[in-house]
Amino acid sequence: MKVPELQRLSEHLDRVVFAQEPAKTGLVLAILAREHAYLEGPPGSGKSALARAAADAVGARSAELAFHRDASAAELLGELHLRRELRGSRERIAIERALGASAEAELLLLDDLSRAPGEALGLLLRALAERRLGPHALPLETAIATAGAPDLESYADPLEPGALDRFAIQVRMHGLLAARSFSTARAFLDRELAARATPAFDRATRHALQRRAAQLPFEPAARAALLRAVERLTRAAGAEPALFSDRSFARAAPAVLRAHALWRGGDRVQPEDVRALRYMLARRLPEELEGEVGALLEQAIREPAGTESSAPGARPAAAADRSGGAPAPGDGPRHTLPVESLEARQLSLAAVAPVASARGDEGAEVESLLRALAGRLERGAVRRGEDAAGAPRSFRRMRRLEEMLDADPVDAALFSEGRLPSGARVYRRERRNAGGALAVLRDVSASMEGRLASSAGQVVAGLVRVAARRRMRLGYVEFNHEAERFAADGAFFHRRYRRALALARRSRAEGRTNYEAPLRAALGELRGCAGRERHVVLLSDGMPILGDPNVRNERALAQRLGVKVHTVFLGLGECPKVLDEISRETGGLRFEARHAPGGRVTLRERGERR
Amino acid sequence: MKHGLERLGQLLDRHVVGHDEAKSALLLALVCREHIYLEGPPGSAKTRMAELAARGAGLGFFFYQMHRDTRLAELVGDVVLERRPLAAGSGERIHQAIEPGGILTADVCVLDDISRAPGEALNVLLRVLNERKFGERPIPLLCAIATSNPLRDEYYNEPLDPANLDRFALQLKVSGLIQSGDRAQARELVDRFADGSVQEQPEPQAVLSRAELDAAHAELARIEVPAAEKDRLVEFLRRLVVDYDCDETNSLLTDRSFLVKAVKLLRGRAFLAGRARVERGDLAVLSQMTTFRVPEEVQLKVPELIGEITA
Repeated sequence: MKVPELQRLSEHLDRVVFAQEPAKTGLVLAILAREHAYLEGPPGSGKSALARAAADAVGARSAELAFHRDASAAELLGELHLRRELRGSRERIAIERALGASAEAELLLLDDLSRAPGEALGLLLRALAERRLGPHALPLETAIATAGAPDLESYADPLEPGALDRFAIQVRMHGLLAARSFSTARAFLDRELAARATPAFDRATRHALQRRAAQLPFEPAARAALLRAVERLTRAAGAEPALFSDRSFARAAPAVLRAHALWRGGDRVQPEDVRALRYMLARRLPEELEGEVGALLEQAIREPAGTESSAPGARPAAAADRSGGAPAPGDGPRHTLPVESLEARQLSLAAVAPVASARGDEGAEVESLLRALAGRLERGAVRRGEDAAGAPRSFRRMRRLEEMLDADPVDAALFSEGRLPSGARVYRRERRNAGGALAVLRDVSASMEGRLASSAGQVVAGLVRVAARRRMRLGYVEFNHEAERFAADGAFFHRRYRRALALARRSRAEGRTNYEAPLRAALGELRGCAGRERHVVLLSDGMPILGDPNVRNERALAQRLGVKVHTVFLGLGECPKVLDEISRETGGLRFEARHAPGGRVTLRERGERR
Repeated sequence: MKHGLERLGQLLDRHVVGHDEAKSALLLALVCREHIYLEGPPGSAKTRMAELAARGAGLGFFFYQMHRDTRLAELVGDVVLERRPLAAGSGERIHQAIEPGGILTADVCVLDDISRAPGEALNVLLRVLNERKFGERPIPLLCAIATSNPLRDEYYNEPLDPANLDRFALQLKVSGLIQSGDRAQARELVDRFADGSVQEQPEPQAVLSRAELDAAHAELARIEVPAAEKDRLVEFLRRLVVDYDCDETNSLLTDRSFLVKAVKLLRGRAFLAGRARVERGDLAVLSQMTTFRVPEEVQLKVPELIGEITA
């Protein structure tokens, strides 16, 4: 029932790369739909091998661009040349761009995309999107990018949403071992894999298949299902819907669904093809939701037409599924998503118990708090410093000869002819310096349960990300009747952001509230810590019962040290006055959570508003 | 005369679903010869609209993707070095020259992702946009359309400085149809692509010409601005300054923008509606000027304020 050519393509890919079905299917869909694809995964999971194999197997002319920190627009799009020509008695010297091998490629492999400095990609990505470079139309059909998972501690800046959105297909790969797929790993040992894939068909066949896919009729029911699915997914993504762009989901998704229909051997696009959306989601949905995608799509597929507006029903169903309900029946979405990998990943972070992912409505509200706090933390907090490993920001004069490599080409040529005694202009490379210190104090007393705990967890996780972006040193304290500090490498303030993120997901609720202990602990650490930008964020849900309820000593100390104490009240009742006083005295921000009917929690700034 | 602009509006409607406000602002920018700035998330048709408006207007058109390495030369043409031998055997002269191109020869330019460009390139741009001349040479530029992603952490962009931002008389926020939860329009968009009719569409033909636009622009001066509307404009500005505390520290209420350009835009609105005089409804255009010129919380109240003043 499958198209024979596509059947053959599967076999050819299988000879080179073992398992990794989602990634393989994703690439085939990208090639059939002429969309770009993004594969993300840990080192050694076969990303690059699979990308190369796909290029070979579909008989495409391919080129490969390797990314690194200094990859510049010039390098990615073709070298800049100096051209000297005589015009009459004059000689003209101009810079020209020579088109490289990538301008000829039908399939372009972008290896280790996340290594490129975030900004250098803009031009390349536009060229990819338009399949056009200046006046030249590119024969490019599909670009396949590979990248490591974004990591707060790595040196590479994460790709920005605008760049990621150019890749309609996005699949996350998992190593077999990390995903604990030991039986598959065992089977891997018995396989002899070929080094390179052989073509399963030629260009003419590939183009014929692409045309065939593009011409498949689209059932109205499939359109309705697509819209339902997109609606559910945007809602699930909650606070971060930036990547649910019209470009991807209204323009690219129909093409991907058509490719999927052809791939499964259908003659028209049916609601079931909405399953193809799962190959578009790796960086569009938070990773925690990966396990739910299948069920979400199945619901969108099955929901009969005319009941779209009853969407609120979706959430309880999804929640039930998450809490251990039966997986969807049928050929099921689950076999393609390596669910078991999720536990493994969380275990590897730290020995903490993960809570159910917080999501949806509250997420959107926590966002406003984080924005305000981030703004405050940012103010004057982070200075850029010159650093050879940083991103180029402007030009300066060359100081050492080896900097020629980083020089403006015209200047370099003139300098090399001895015409520029002062040296060529080179990039000034800068990166953000350490940006102060942030201590997060989280109430874990008995009343911080359920929704409150998950809100608090989100706030903490958001603060950790804010700190990471600004290279702030981070300290973390959980408190009830006593304060528990979490040190890394023996230091309270550290830059182990990933570890702190894992802690944020942890949920515990026991004991009673004591403000004195955590504030004393944090201020004690801040006392020995230089720098003007020092912040404490105190998250709590209730009245202090133990310790000094007015924390007089600590307030005085915070003022003396110039530490700003921001307070976030998450509880149900009245906000304790002492929180207001702490913030007011130290110049911190004040927030409170309000519980609206229907179980929604909204966060807003407390106190007098004009 | 108006017909060309009407056709351009239809062309935009044919190619882009929704975004009515941005579309009419683009027409307004073309007829008033003002610059326009569109800010919105990736994939929300900003660039597409800008490109369609420029192409459809049948004008000399320069598209430029701003990036971190943007150099002056890429915006204004080729920078070349010339070596010229001097009189017999007395040496040579080397000088740098610009062969005009790009923004210096275009009627309309689209500056994509403007917030990514380094200050160095933007400074030149600022002068060129404002004076519509480069050095001593006047340039034919009518309108610059700039786009940008939202200024947030995960984008590697930096906010335009106030001086640059003030060059763009019209400023709009654009959001995706899916993201803003507009179900009907999202459905229309999906239908278009599911039908496959879009892929077949040819690149748009020009439906307007420079001569028509020049004539339209000349027409603007003849449009009457009644004293009552001038009063309302000043009342609007007074309320912003007095009631909403907009001052130099938090806002950009410049005389150039709000006493000169605003009036031009009011006339443009009337012209596009086929009227010979400005009516109070035209004041709605003011909210497209204040977008990034007043604090965000004030901007939220601007439509209400305009409503009160024109009631």
